[in-house]
Amino acid sequence: MSGRRLSLFWAACVVAGALLVAFVVLPAASMVVGAGAGLLGEALRQDDIRRSLWLTVSAALIATAIAFVVGVPLAYLLARRDFVGKRAIEGIIDLPIVFPHTAAGIALLTVYGREGVMGRLLAPLGISFTETVAGIVLAMLFVSLPFLVDTARETFALVDERYEYVARTLGSSPGGAFLRVTFPQAWRGVLSGAVLMWGRGISEFGAVVILAYNPKVISVLTFERFEGFGLRAAQPPAVLIVIVAFVVFLVARAVLLPRRGRSRKDRA
Amino acid sequence: MIGLRGMEVAAGDFSVGPLDLDVAAGEYAVLLGPSGAGKTLVLEALAGVRRVRAGRLLVDEADVTELPAERRRVGLVFQDGLLFPHLSVADNVAYGLHRSNGERTRWRRRPAADRLGQLAGEVGITQLMERRPATLSGGERQRVALARALAARPRALLLDEPLSAVDVEAREELQDVLRRVSRQEGLTVLHVTHDRAEAFALADTCALLVDGTLRQTGRPADVLRRPADEAVARFLGARNVLRAARDESDPRRALLGTGAALRVADPLPAATIDLVVRPEDMEVWPAGAAPADAVNHLTATVVRLVLQGGHVLVGAESPTPLEALVTARRADDLALRVGVEVELTVAAACVHAIPAT
Repeated sequence: MSGRRLSLFWAACVVAGALLVAFVVLPAASMVVGAGAGLLGEALRQDDIRRSLWLTVSAALIATAIAFVVGVPLAYLLARRDFVGKRAIEGIIDLPIVFPHTAAGIALLTVYGREGVMGRLLAPLGISFTETVAGIVLAMLFVSLPFLVDTARETFALVDERYEYVARTLGSSPGGAFLRVTFPQAWRGVLSGAVLMWGRGISEFGAVVILAYNPKVISVLTFERFEGFGLRAAQPPAVLIVIVAFVVFLVARAVLLPRRGRSRKDRA
Repeated sequence: MIGLRGMEVAAGDFSVGPLDLDVAAGEYAVLLGPSGAGKTLVLEALAGVRRVRAGRLLVDEADVTELPAERRRVGLVFQDGLLFPHLSVADNVAYGLHRSNGERTRWRRRPAADRLGQLAGEVGITQLMERRPATLSGGERQRVALARALAARPRALLLDEPLSAVDVEAREELQDVLRRVSRQEGLTVLHVTHDRAEAFALADTCALLVDGTLRQTGRPADVLRRPADEAVARFLGARNVLRAARDESDPRRALLGTGAALRVADPLPAATIDLVVRPEDMEVWPAGAAPADAVNHLTATVVRLVLQGGHVLVGAESPTPLEALVTARRADDLALRVGVEVELTVAAACVHAIPAT
């Protein structure tokens, strides 16, 4: 009786899971299959698409690099220390996830736009965030930062702090213990967060379009073509960015998978 | 040497101390206490990875209270070894060599390689050097962790339950290694455990920590024979703790509530006392067959028999509940079984009296 209940339960899980996977895969597969190799070649031959692709990928990469430099120390701090206001900071870091992205763009514009506090402050240095690559990076950074910080924080928390205690008694400074003992155990999780952040960055539209319609990232270019020329014209850039993102995710997962394989073996 | 001077350390609502403890240079001290007594907090404070709330910490006469962990030169080995999983065994041990040489060392070069080889030989891990920590047994992991701690040439070594995650056979081998290596290296050791047998097998000095308070310090035999209070007595396995009153006409005679009396070797220290008798000091005789010259004998009925390895723990009621430990052979000879009436005797020197609290 209980075995039958169990099998029904697992069957329900499988059906629910299959529905969800199909929901995610169908639109992407339909677009890529519908486009075919011809459309992909056509996309690669168009200068504006190539420029837009490069801009999107590199801006997301710069945003991820900035988040890595400032976000990883914050993630480590949140994982290791208890302090007044820690919960508030965790909430603030997650705020962009619940922000409607166009609202995020408006909020950024009020601070970093020509009339904003930071915009006016940085203008004499020649730094502008409206209609510039810097603005695109800023928008991507804002909306995708939580993916890196949260994943890194959770990964650091999984590394037993006592490894650092041992490293300290063996002569390492706190920074040395982090670099030589904790980070080597956590790097896969941090990389996973970085890939998630980068992926979220390249797909950003709402915040970017408010802050920097030009130069056009691929999501803006796709939208512009769809609005101006219809579905057929919007398909090449859309297909291209989906394929690029998919390949990067595959490579990243290949890097991350060996550890999972080992841990399964260890448990056995 | 290691010295604690009024040290207090806290974790959340739980605090330990103030503690005063001295471990002489080259001495092997065991901090013994039940789980949750605060033993690990003491070690972490000494290692410098947890701040003390008050008091001073001394290592080799130097005050290290304000020194960061990396400058204390105190080795730390945890229960599970905590080998760095991304490094080989050799690289784990070599991690400690960096400090002993004052700089990052390529361990494959002499003299670092010589020291590495010497340590590996001392703790018996020579054949494991190229292995990964995940492939080692619990005992092997602890040997590597010990070698890694020794590589940094610590002034004192702190061991946090180092034998509790290894099987019985490996535990005995590791005890030998700890004893031998600590002597060879002339190390001052503070070893934390909740295991009485482990403590008495290794300790030159034993300190009892219960509920964050140091209850007693002394040689293992003294602590075992003369526990300072009831909590220590019970933790050390003295299962017979009997409330009694001093016989005012004879200060060496204690009156039990049941009307029976026990004689002790020294005058009783208070009007109301707890008498502590270890089960192995209690002898069991067939009813009426106890030696006539036995100073303390009690008539009792067997209510429980528990086989413990080669011994049998005999539970009896006199009517006060009492326990005696006899060899399995003696139990057979006496034909012990539940309901049988027996006589229990105990020498006056084996009855320890502590003032009742």
